[in-house]
Amino acid sequence: MDSILRIIKRNTLFFKIFVVMVISIIMVSLLITYSSIRMSSNLFIDTFSITNSKIMDQITEQFDEFTESTVSASLEVDTNGTIKQALLENHQTAIDKYSLYYDMKYEMNRIYAEVDPNDANMIIMNKQNDIFNMNYIKWPVQADQLVNHEIITRMENNPDQMIYQFEDSEVTNHVPMIIISKALTLQNGYIYGYLFFSLTEKDLRDFYESYTSEGNNVLLLTPKGDIISSNQQNLIGESSPELLDYAQSFEGKELEYRNAEVFGQQFTLLSQYIPSLDIYLINLIDQKVVSNNLVDANEIIFISIAIVGISVLLTFLILRRMTVSISTLVHQISDMARYQFTKPLKETGGYETRKIAKAFNYMLNELQDYVQILMNTQEKQRKAELEALQHQINPHFIYNTLASIKFMIKQEKKETASNTIDSFIALIQNSLSNIDETITVEQELENLKNYVQINQARYGDRIRVNYLIAPDCLSLTIPKLVLQPFIENAFFHAFTKKKTGYIQILIAQKQDKLICEIIDNGDGMVPNRLENNIVKSKGKRQLFSGIGVKNVHERIQLLYGKSYGVTITSEPGKGTNVVITLPAKN
Amino acid sequence: MKQSLSKKLWLLLVALFTAAILVACGDDTDGENADSDGGEDASGGETTDIIAWAWDQNFNIAALNLANEYYENEDFNMEIVENAQDDIVQKLNTGLSSGTMKGMPNIVLIEDQRAQSFLQSYPDAFYPIGDYFNTEDFAEYKIAPTSLDGKQYGLPFDTGATGFFYRTDYLEEAGYTHDDLVNITWAQFVDIAKDVKEKTGHPMLALDPNDLGILRVMMQTTGTWYTTEDGKINLVDNEPLKLALQHYKELMSNDLVHLVSDWSQYLAAFNSGDVASVPAGNWIAPSIEAEASQSGLWKVAPTPRLDMEGAANASNQGGSSWYVLNIDGKEAAAEFLGKTFGSNSEFYQELLTEVGAIGTYKPASEGDAYQYENEYFGGQKVIYEISQWMEEIPQVDYGMNTYGIEDILSAEIQQYLDGKSLEDMLADAQAQAENQFK
Repeated sequence: MDSILRIIKRNTLFFKIFVVMVISIIMVSLLITYSSIRMSSNLFIDTFSITNSKIMDQITEQFDEFTESTVSASLEVDTNGTIKQALLENHQTAIDKYSLYYDMKYEMNRIYAEVDPNDANMIIMNKQNDIFNMNYIKWPVQADQLVNHEIITRMENNPDQMIYQFEDSEVTNHVPMIIISKALTLQNGYIYGYLFFSLTEKDLRDFYESYTSEGNNVLLLTPKGDIISSNQQNLIGESSPELLDYAQSFEGKELEYRNAEVFGQQFTLLSQYIPSLDIYLINLIDQKVVSNNLVDANEIIFISIAIVGISVLLTFLILRRMTVSISTLVHQISDMARYQFTKPLKETGGYETRKIAKAFNYMLNELQDYVQILMNTQEKQRKAELEALQHQINPHFIYNTLASIKFMIKQEKKETASNTIDSFIALIQNSLSNIDETITVEQELENLKNYVQINQARYGDRIRVNYLIAPDCLSLTIPKLVLQPFIENAFFHAFTKKKTGYIQILIAQKQDKLICEIIDNGDGMVPNRLENNIVKSKGKRQLFSGIGVKNVHERIQLLYGKSYGVTITSEPGKGTNVVITLPAKN
Repeated sequence: MKQSLSKKLWLLLVALFTAAILVACGDDTDGENADSDGGEDASGGETTDIIAWAWDQNFNIAALNLANEYYENEDFNMEIVENAQDDIVQKLNTGLSSGTMKGMPNIVLIEDQRAQSFLQSYPDAFYPIGDYFNTEDFAEYKIAPTSLDGKQYGLPFDTGATGFFYRTDYLEEAGYTHDDLVNITWAQFVDIAKDVKEKTGHPMLALDPNDLGILRVMMQTTGTWYTTEDGKINLVDNEPLKLALQHYKELMSNDLVHLVSDWSQYLAAFNSGDVASVPAGNWIAPSIEAEASQSGLWKVAPTPRLDMEGAANASNQGGSSWYVLNIDGKEAAAEFLGKTFGSNSEFYQELLTEVGAIGTYKPASEGDAYQYENEYFGGQKVIYEISQWMEEIPQVDYGMNTYGIEDILSAEIQQYLDGKSLEDMLADAQAQAENQFK
């Protein structure tokens, strides 16, 4: 968990951009997919419904043609003299009947040709219950079945009308069919026969079945709400008042189609009233099924998913390439301090990161150059300062020495005064006139002796100085005034409690190093005055030259490096030991 | 190295996506192809939908259904459409003469007496099926009407051997036993009819004025026909026809006939118990048996003969054969007929017992089923007896104008019944027919 968090933290930039990109890609494709499916289905349903309403017109036309054919056939039967006469005559003998049968069949064959193409059947029955059936397969009805049927009463009540009805009962052997019946009447109203046309539901279906398909259903509905024909055969015979409501809602309106909920499902519904048959022709379109067949949503979705997949993958790869190099750059930069700005950045990754790294490295180089120059200048300045210091002689020293010499002369110690003036002259000569930075040990020793002689002349010889110099060291060179400050220090600070003592100066060569020791047996120093074995500078003015004890150490290190310098050990009451380490140089 | 690897991976992924999309699209087109293949199959290839037209629910259609059960082919799917025979004839004429063959069936049943007119009028409309069965396996008299110019077009089905089916109870009431009805003449038949009518009140038989089948049955007992063997119209001097017409008129004028106008009324006439007898082709037997309540009340006697020299107590009516139309699916249809009606003896045995149809397939004529004692006909060996009569049927050449002549004749018979003399009426009919079939 932590490692995941760390990875996310390390790649925040990547994750931020990636998440934003992924979300936008998915959103865009979702919206496009959804709207394209929606638009295509809507467009499809629209055109489909328009096509279907044309089809409805065609079906209606077919129905009209059929009813027209029955009407004209019935007119022909009505006006056919042979039939009228044959039906009116009373046939007693077989020979009488024979001609009736023959004539009827002969005349009816001609008229039947008009309705035959629709697979309709034509039947004529006379009052003597002789029945003439043109196609017994379609309706194998017997006279005694018809005689007492309500169909006859209905005809007798409406002798001038063609009566349309749907029958599914005993009289049709339970074969669903439409029966169109008409009473054949004389002008005085006498009924001399009955004419029937029948069309089985199966043949009725042929009118529209070729226009139907899965999810695109056609129903025929009576004004009572009974479904008398449909390509969905399980619906035949059912009653659906809701469907009737929808069908009637079309009347008197210029509606192309409307949405309806019937049989517990959503449909697009088209309806047309066929007045000739007194039925409603209804077209139910199951939008889902129909549009699924034609608009392949799965394919669109699949393509969208593929596009999203490809774009996310591409985004991932490109982003990763870009942000990883930026992230490494950032890490390198944040590590910079550890390597003291000396380690340059790796110039890898994309163009932008390479450019940034290059610029950064350039800047780093410039910075280093400036720092170098600054350091050099500072060193030079320090050196100049030290040089200036070592050329200074404290005016108090000169004043005090001269005052001491004046007292010596007043006390008439001519010899001592003369020696002191000699030493003073030599000392000043060496300090001021000799402009070399280094001098030999011998020369330095000469200076020390002169300095000690002056001090002893001034303060008496209660502090004695011993020189123990290895002869091979005399010719070696050392920086000017390296030893003097420590002698001065010993003279003026080591013997404030003790009034007498000695100072020993030891110089010897040890391998390639020159070791100078200044040992006194004076008061010593408390440890807190020592820091890093170097005397703490208190900014106290030096008595002789501008160079103090502390300066010596710095000067040596500046000149020769860190392995050289001054170490001081001290014990209160026992004295101080100063060791100066220098390179042995000729 | 790493960079080039990731580049390869990237290419691979793109390739995979492209391939996936192509495959998805490919699937769709495959699906469409499969659909269109299916469409072609339906019209010409393996899973075939065959449509068959036939008449007579109790006989021909029952036989066809039985054959379909016997045919072991899962790809074969047959829809049987029942139509009246006249309807089939009319629809065939309309469809075949238009030449489009639209809406035509694959298999159609045609009566032997009509077959030649179809075969000669529409020579390319039928598919020769001689290769699918052995013609020598069938009764010879069925081959001539079903073939043309040496090519076999029809697969012979039932024999049209006729019988005199009668109600034992009515005839007994009129004072007749079975023996009184065996090998009688049509003149005797008319007399018996008069007795039956007088004593029981029932008409002897049912007739459709538009179907002169009974005249043909009478005529063929003497071996004559409306036409001669060389195709000439033979009405005027046709003595057997004259005699038959006299009997016909006598039946009519004595009210011995129940007139019907269609097949369903014809069936109703005897199923309802109205008429006393049915002289007709043996194919009527299953329709008689359809009325279970009359079981044991029926028997069958040989067909009455015309009282002339050389006449036999046997005749023929309405035997028919199967034909295959020359449209898509013809091979499958012919294969079906060849495997069932063309060669399956076992099928014919069941056809006899289940349907009562007597085929003309010779290898099947020796089976046990021929000895079957039919309880409905009082234990009579109906099939055996009919098969005996079958051999005695006088052979005639039906020619191709049988029904055309009969249309003319039925109009003339009107006038004959109304009082026109027989000679005049036949002379008029002869003249009309000669004009029409020149």
